[in-house]
Amino acid sequence: MSTSSSTSARPTDLKAVRDTVLDTAGTIAIAGAGTAAGWAGDLAPVDTVLDTTGLSGVIAHNPGDMTVAVRAGTPLRALQEELSSHGQHVSFDAARVADGATVGGLVATADSGPAALVFGSLRDLVIGVTIVLADGSVARSGGHVIKNVAGYDLAKLLHGSYGALGVLAEVVLRLHPVPRGGTTIALPCPLDGVHEHAARILGGPYEPAALEWMSADGGRLLVRLEGTLDALPAREERIRELLGPQATRADDDAWEQHAALVRGSGRGAVLRVGARPSRLPGLLAGLGCQAATVGLGTGVATVELPVEAVADAHATVHAAGGTSVLRYRPDGAGAPGWGPAPSAVAVLVALKRELDPAGRFGPGRFSPWMEGAQ
Amino acid sequence: MTLDGVVRKAFEEALDPRDVISDPVRCRAYECDGLTGYRVTPDLVLLPRDAAQVAAAVRVCAEHGVPFVARGAGTGLSGGALPVADGVVISLARLKRVLEVDPVDRRAVVEPGVTNLEITAAAAPHGLYYAPDPSSQQVCTIGGNVAENSGGAHCLKYGFTTNHVLSCEVVLPDGSLVTLGSDSGEQAGPDLRGVFLGSEGTLGITTKITVRLLRAPESVRTLLADFPSITAAGDVVSDVVAAGIVPAAVEMMDTLAIEAAEQAVHAGYTVGVPAALVVELDGPAAECDVQFEQVKEICERHGCTRLHIAGSAEERAAIWRGRKAAFAAVGRISPDYFVQDGVVPRTRLAEVLGRIAAMGDEAGLRVANVFHAGDGNLHPLVLYSAEAGETERAEHLSGAIAELCVELGGSLSGEHGIGTDKACSMPKMFGEEDLATMRRVRSAFDPGGICNPGKVLPTPRLCGERPGKYRPHALEEAGVIERL
Repeated sequence: MSTSSSTSARPTDLKAVRDTVLDTAGTIAIAGAGTAAGWAGDLAPVDTVLDTTGLSGVIAHNPGDMTVAVRAGTPLRALQEELSSHGQHVSFDAARVADGATVGGLVATADSGPAALVFGSLRDLVIGVTIVLADGSVARSGGHVIKNVAGYDLAKLLHGSYGALGVLAEVVLRLHPVPRGGTTIALPCPLDGVHEHAARILGGPYEPAALEWMSADGGRLLVRLEGTLDALPAREERIRELLGPQATRADDDAWEQHAALVRGSGRGAVLRVGARPSRLPGLLAGLGCQAATVGLGTGVATVELPVEAVADAHATVHAAGGTSVLRYRPDGAGAPGWGPAPSAVAVLVALKRELDPAGRFGPGRFSPWMEGAQ
Repeated sequence: MTLDGVVRKAFEEALDPRDVISDPVRCRAYECDGLTGYRVTPDLVLLPRDAAQVAAAVRVCAEHGVPFVARGAGTGLSGGALPVADGVVISLARLKRVLEVDPVDRRAVVEPGVTNLEITAAAAPHGLYYAPDPSSQQVCTIGGNVAENSGGAHCLKYGFTTNHVLSCEVVLPDGSLVTLGSDSGEQAGPDLRGVFLGSEGTLGITTKITVRLLRAPESVRTLLADFPSITAAGDVVSDVVAAGIVPAAVEMMDTLAIEAAEQAVHAGYTVGVPAALVVELDGPAAECDVQFEQVKEICERHGCTRLHIAGSAEERAAIWRGRKAAFAAVGRISPDYFVQDGVVPRTRLAEVLGRIAAMGDEAGLRVANVFHAGDGNLHPLVLYSAEAGETERAEHLSGAIAELCVELGGSLSGEHGIGTDKACSMPKMFGEEDLATMRRVRSAFDPGGICNPGKVLPTPRLCGERPGKYRPHALEEAGVIERL
C-alpha cells in the first residue's frame, strides 16, 4: 500500500497523531492492522504512512453503562477478550476481526458480519469519536452516552471513509450482554431456493440472530439463535420443525467456513454487494460468482469472482439499485474499486474539499469519484 | 413583507400560486414549533405537493439567497422549525403518501409528511411495525423524526430513527435531488445518510424515506413496580442490566410525576410512593417468560412495595397511558413548567437526581422527574408560576440542569434536539475545534448558509437573544401531543 520512499509514523496518543499530521507535508495513508489495506480504490503512492496500531488500549470501560472508549488502533479481538470477563461484548462479528483488525479500521471500512441482522454495522454501535483532520484539527462528536442527539454525528461521516477524510483516534462503543447460549441450524439448499426459507423464518416469531447462505458444500442456509439456556432448546426445535427433516445442528466450524468465504481464496477478486434482500439471490446469479456468502435479512453479500468480471459486476449491481465495493484484488490486477458514482457524489466531493482540501489523506481510495475534489 | 416581488413571483412559478402563502395572519400559524417561547413570523409559507416542487422551491431560495426552514407537524421541542426572519417556511404537510409497504423485505417507502404512527398502521396488516415511538407519534411526521433522529420509550432495545432508516431522498440546499443511503446496510463510501439523520433540518430537506419494519414480537410483558426510593429503583435497573437482560423499555417516575399522572388519567399508579418503575420485555415467548421471572425477582430483592403485572393488553395500555400522560399532567399541579431533556450515564442517575433536587430546593422550585431509566435520558419538569414572577429563576434552573448533565459525562439532549433552544449551550459540550469541524460539514452541504440557519451551532446573533416564557402549543392544549 505504500511505496518504498514513504516514511512511517506510529503515534501512541492523540496528541502524537495531531503532531504527525502537522509535522509532515504531503500525502498520508492511514493504516491499521493491514487486514483491509487493499479494499476500495487502489491507494496511490504516499509520502507518509500513519500507523495507528500504537493507539492501543481501553480508555474507559463502564460496565454498568455498557459503554467502552478505546483508542482506535486497538484490535477488536483484544477488546472483546477484555470485555468478556464482564459478560459484555461489541455485537459485531466481521470475518477479519479474527485476523486482528482494529476498531478504527473496521469503522473506516464500514465492515460488518452476520450479526448485522440484529445489531447493524459499527455505524449503529459507535456512540462517539475523536478524529484528527488533515490540518491537525482535533474534533469530537457524540459522547459516552447511548442516547444523544447533540451536534452532527461525525462517526457516521468516518464510517466507510476508507482513510480519506480523517484519522480515527478514539472510538466510544455501546456494548451488549454476551448471550447466555447460542446454536446454529443448517439446511442444505441452493441459492435459488433460499429466499423462500428466509421469508418464512423472517416472517415468523423466531428472531434469528443471524441468517446467512453460504456456497460451501453445494450451498447451506445457516440460522443462528441466541438467548437464554432455558429457552433455546424450544426455539431450536421450532426452527427445525419449520425447515423440515433436512435441517440439522450445524457443524461447530460452520461460521469459520462462512468467514473463510468472506475473506476469499486469494485467487479471485472479492466484491462486497448490498441490495434489497429479496433481489440479492437473483442479482448474484448474474455476476458469475465462484463463491459467496449472502445475508438474507441484511441484503449484504460477499462474493468471489474473476478479476475481469469486476467492472461488469459493479455496473450490474448499480443498475439493480445496489451498492458494491471491491475488497480484494489479486496482486497486480487493476480491477476498479467502485462502480458508477452515487447520486450524492457532489456532497462527497464537497466534504473532501472542506475537510481535506489538499487531498492529503488516502489518495486514490475513492478514485474516480473524488478526483474533482483537488 | 421584505422578500421582494421578484422572489415571490419565482416561488409562484415554481409552485401553484395558491400554494404560496403571504397573508401575515396565515403565516403566523407557522411562527413557532412545540417550543413556543420563540416566535418568528415567516415572510412566506410554501406548500409544495411533491418532491419536484420542493426542489424547485429550494432552487429559487438558492438563486436569491433566501433562507428556508423545513417544517413537518411542528411538534419539535427545541425550536428546530422556528422560522427565519426574511425567510420562507417550506411545509412538507402535503407530501403524505405511503408509497410502498413491502412485507417480504420488511420496509416501507413514505413521504415526509406521513406521521410516525401511520407507518405502523400501514404495516400492521402484515404483522409488522415501525419501531421508533416518540410519544408524539400520533402527530409527529417521519420527516421531522429524520431531522431530529427521534427516539422514544423503546429505543433502549431497538435504537433510534437512524437505526431504522435505510435511505432518504434529499433536496440539497442547491436544489438538487439525491439519495443518501441504500437498499441495504451497505453503502457506497461514507454514511452520508447517517450524517443527514439528526442534522435538524440544516443539511437539506428529505422528500422520501425508506424505513425498516420489524415483525411484531411474539410476546410482550409489562410490569409496574413501586419502590421506597429512587435509589432502590435505580438499583433494579442496574441489576437487570447486570443479568444480561435488555428490556424493551425501562421508565421511571418520581412522586410528583406520579401524582400528576394519576390525577390526570387514573392509570392505577400509587400516589405517594417515592418511585415507580415500568419495565417491559418483548421477544420470543420462551425468552420473554424466562427473563420476566428474573426481573420480578430483582424487583422483590430491592424492596418493591407493590408489583403490578399487566394481565391484558388493556392493562398494559393503562400503564403506558399513565407514563405518557405525565408531562401534560404536570399542568394540573403547576400553572407553568419547563421541560428539560438531558442525558447522563445511566449509573449516575441517582447522583444527578440528588443534585437536581438540591438545585430545586435552592431555587425554591419543584422539579418533577419522568425519565427513560434504561439509557439515562432525563426529562426534568421545572414547575413554576409566571404570575408569581418565577419565570427567570425556572428558566435558569432548567438550563443549569442540562449543563449539569454534560458535567456528569452526558449530553445536552437525548431526543429533543439542539435547535434554537440549546445552540448557545453547545460550547458547554463541545470545544471550538469540534464546532468548527461541524461547521465545515454544514458548509459542504450548504455553502450559502440558507438551510435552517441559526440552528444547532451557536452564532453570536442567536446567542444574544432571550426566549419568551413557555406557552402551551395548540396541539398540546387539545391533548393531541405531549411534551417529551
